[in-house]
Amino acid sequence: MSLLQEEREIILGNEYVDTFDFAEVEDFVKNASKELFISHHFKKKNKMLVQPRGGFPTYKKQFALYEFFVDANVDVLPLTIDSNTRLNDYGTAKKMLRLSEDNDVDMLNGYPLVNHGYRTTRKMMTHFNKPVSLRHGTPDARLLIETAIASGIFEIEGGPITYLLPYSKNFPLDKAFLYWKYVERVCANYSKLNEPINRESFGPLTATLVPPCITIVIQLLEMMLSLEEGVKSFSVSFSQSGSMNQDIVMGAVIRKLSKHYAAQIDCADAAINLVYHQWMGAFPTNKDYAEQLISISTVIASMVGADKIITKTREEATGIPTKEANAKTVANTQYSLGILNGLPNVVDQEEEEILTEEVHSIMEAVFNDPADTLWRKVFNSIKNGIIDVPFSPHIINHNEMITIRDAKKNIRIIERGSVPISDRCYAYERAQCDLTKDTTSIVNDIIHDIGIMQ
Amino acid sequence: MKVVTGVVGNDIHVVANRLMELSLHARGYEVFNLGVNTYLEEFFDAAVETGAEILLISSLNGEAEGWGREVKQLKAKYKYLDNLVMMIGGNLTVGSGHAEDIIPKYKNYGFDLVCHQVDLNTGLDLLETFIADRKITESNQS
Repeated sequence: MSLLQEEREIILGNEYVDTFDFAEVEDFVKNASKELFISHHFKKKNKMLVQPRGGFPTYKKQFALYEFFVDANVDVLPLTIDSNTRLNDYGTAKKMLRLSEDNDVDMLNGYPLVNHGYRTTRKMMTHFNKPVSLRHGTPDARLLIETAIASGIFEIEGGPITYLLPYSKNFPLDKAFLYWKYVERVCANYSKLNEPINRESFGPLTATLVPPCITIVIQLLEMMLSLEEGVKSFSVSFSQSGSMNQDIVMGAVIRKLSKHYAAQIDCADAAINLVYHQWMGAFPTNKDYAEQLISISTVIASMVGADKIITKTREEATGIPTKEANAKTVANTQYSLGILNGLPNVVDQEEEEILTEEVHSIMEAVFNDPADTLWRKVFNSIKNGIIDVPFSPHIINHNEMITIRDAKKNIRIIERGSVPISDRCYAYERAQCDLTKDTTSIVNDIIHDIGIMQ
Repeated sequence: MKVVTGVVGNDIHVVANRLMELSLHARGYEVFNLGVNTYLEEFFDAAVETGAEILLISSLNGEAEGWGREVKQLKAKYKYLDNLVMMIGGNLTVGSGHAEDIIPKYKNYGFDLVCHQVDLNTGLDLLETFIADRKITESNQS
């Protein structure tokens, strides 16, 4: 038996799992309807796929949510997991699920997939026969993704960097890399049986003034870590930055460079998709304004040429959205996409060139790390500040980089810290900003720049 | 002057914490930032370890209200912290509340300065005034 299979048996021998039937699950994936695979829909490239967010504790409520989404003409269904499961606390999730079922009050902020189990959940997934995307935020997602794939969920979001740096202070990053290696391998193995399982990275990170070069570098590295384990379908992603031009530039550069770096590790045969997140920062409390923001996000996603858009709702500022509000966003976004015709082709060569050079410089520094494997090189690069994510709460992150918006609302680097962008690019970034200000006014500007959509 | 700062409890809201570090630094403080998700013991340990004159705790989700109750008792277990300036700021209650109810409560918990939903720089100005006043009092006494 392979080491991986040995590890799988340990993971799936968990007391909260009701006997995992490996052979049956393999059979299920082999014969599953192509409609369940988002990779199959990406291949057809008919239109930008629309995917909302959403997860409720009980089977009944999740089922009802999906009915609303299907009525609103959804392309991809989400399954958002509760925060106890994200922290592998299945005991608490079980208790809260029972309370939610008995009292008809939601005691969890998502669907506790491990507790429901794959036999139950699969019934829902095959009933709707739509591709489902697993949304979680789990550093150790080994049991979760096994349960997901066995349920018919063939897109797995996340990654060792993007699910850790924005969410955790202390979880050891090296462990996260190893846990995600397991995820990639399991996805790669199942991908041989039918259409490929799609992996998606979480580009928004902290959604707080993250400069495009950092977003892209992390997207490329998670893509490479996934492809080198044998994954054949991968989505890079980013969220609305606040400047339409910067989004378009980011889209162009990430498309070009993801192909470049995939080819560099002999994985040019993998399908690479682009996902755009509607505004991930603080939302306006005025629900009509929120709808305006959402429709503008959709316009930008079209300009970017995204393969999938992930939506927000008019209730974003208030809390977990109702299924009605959530479905409304799907219908509205589909309508917007339908009328967005004859889009102009915008190219900003100078910005593309600067951003490309920045990404190459950081990637080169990562590859030059003396460690023997890619994940160790990436780990060391985060540890020594070559990769620095603004506003990450994690203790390993350097927090030396300072970013701010220029007059056109582009995110610019005014302090590069240890991030090795060239002097030329650094000078270009700084030249767009007013650097005569004192720290107090810069801090006030940052506060303003974070809340620009409110 | 040395200041220890951080966000108390299981609160992971990091944005203001980073901005505070920048602002304190710009005002000439030596900053020891413990970041988010910090427990009371860690704050006091750090104050002893660094010899800080100021402890500036912040909270966004309001769970400081729960932790605040334990401040006096815990601080009493440490030597050398009698002159520590204790400041707290942010959203100091879960849900909504009024500053006139909240401030006395936290003063009772042992904080010298309490800023509920006060602008960052206004809060830091208050701190500077407090320190200046205390120096005058001390020199008058000696």
